[in-house]
Amino acid sequence: MSWRRICDAGSVAENQLKKFEVDGIPVIVANYGEGFRAFPPICPHMEEPLAESGLIEGKVLTCTKHLWQWDLRTKEMAGSETERPMHFYDVKEEDGAIHAYIEEEHVYDFDEEDEMDDDDFFNQ
Amino acid sequence: MKVKLQTKSGLFDFDVRADETVLAAGLRQGITLPYECATGTCGTCRGRVMEGDARMAWPDAPGAARLKTERGDCLLCQTYVSSDAVVRVPSDTVHRNGDARPLPDHGRGELTGIRRLTDDVMHFGLVLEHPVRFDAGQFVTMRVPGIAGARAYSMVNYDGETDRMDFVVKRKPGGKFCDWLFEDAAPGAEIGFFGPLGAATFHPEEQRDILCIAGGSGIAGIMSILDHATEIDHFAGHRGDVFFGVRTLADCFYLDELSDFAARSGENLRITVALSHEDAGRDRHPDFPLIRLDTGFVHDAAARAMEGRYGNPLGYVAGPPPMVDAAIRLLISQGKVPTSDIRYDKFG
Repeated sequence: MSWRRICDAGSVAENQLKKFEVDGIPVIVANYGEGFRAFPPICPHMEEPLAESGLIEGKVLTCTKHLWQWDLRTKEMAGSETERPMHFYDVKEEDGAIHAYIEEEHVYDFDEEDEMDDDDFFNQ
Repeated sequence: MKVKLQTKSGLFDFDVRADETVLAAGLRQGITLPYECATGTCGTCRGRVMEGDARMAWPDAPGAARLKTERGDCLLCQTYVSSDAVVRVPSDTVHRNGDARPLPDHGRGELTGIRRLTDDVMHFGLVLEHPVRFDAGQFVTMRVPGIAGARAYSMVNYDGETDRMDFVVKRKPGGKFCDWLFEDAAPGAEIGFFGPLGAATFHPEEQRDILCIAGGSGIAGIMSILDHATEIDHFAGHRGDVFFGVRTLADCFYLDELSDFAARSGENLRITVALSHEDAGRDRHPDFPLIRLDTGFVHDAAARAMEGRYGNPLGYVAGPPPMVDAAIRLLISQGKVPTSDIRYDKFG
């Protein structure tokens, strides 16, 4: 069972995002007006807490710390500053509640990913 | 000594001196190394020393918290080398060949014109050994003999090429540079600097309205922008809206200068001082009738005044981090300002 009930659909107003914890996993539910998205509560840039730094305007999520942006309709990166994708959990609305498909907590590879590997520097 | 720089966009060689950071060496030779604060707090100027002897002047810098130092990762703004070195930067970098923006360099100046503006705000100037050029809104990093590390301060004035730079400092508890400036500094003291730096700049040829939201000493770069804009009569054809947040009327400063900008610029430049810890009680400053007053946080004052009249401005934001965050939210949500039109120094 990986569909997990996060919250009542009515508990996150339009253009709002809210942090929840389900089975010990922190998750943000965002209401962008045309639907909901669920994602981990930190910015994939520098681990800013999106519950505080996140802002939804015009279907776009902005981390106000360094202006990284993601389009909540397409889940794609947006704006001129963004360098990494956001991880989105699948969501569905059922019986007035928001459910997210979370096998396990998604953790960004801040430590594992090594953008200084040789590959990136000598294939030019 | 030489640094061989490996970047995602190619290889670059540049000279580096033992008494300068790798960041300063690259920037002054026209290499567009990534940086924001240049003083160790933001973590933007991440690099990796692949070969050579290097050390970080401030290993515990806040911006270094997530570095893999065991693999040679460093902040270029803190890194000094004592041999030839090979350094990697995980970003695109270019050589600025002949672009018009001022190139940063090392400089020296003598302290002058120290003037207390309020209980905890000080103005000071540097008379420069050699004239410099900077864009309105830029900053320099400063070093004082006997005090570790560098501090970033935005220039208050603007003068094209100039042999003087002015600054404003708000005293913070435990701030060694502030303590020195408020208690021990004497005119003529020598200060080393590196700059100009920063991209929260004003360029009249962009032909844009400007909207500035500043708190406390964050007004510094905005003063420089207003100085430049007023000088070239920018507000004859463009709007300027300036919101300056301080705690009380007694904490206001630069009112003479702001009032002068307003007088010279006419109706298109509106300057509002917002008092967060005192009821303004009136809508104009008692001694400076061209300065509007409002009560509350500066971003709330901006929200009230700008509702329905944003147009399509460039937004300039500077001040304490919570204020900067609130102002950016306002610009995006109420003002619908694209993030590419919001300019601020990402020091956090």
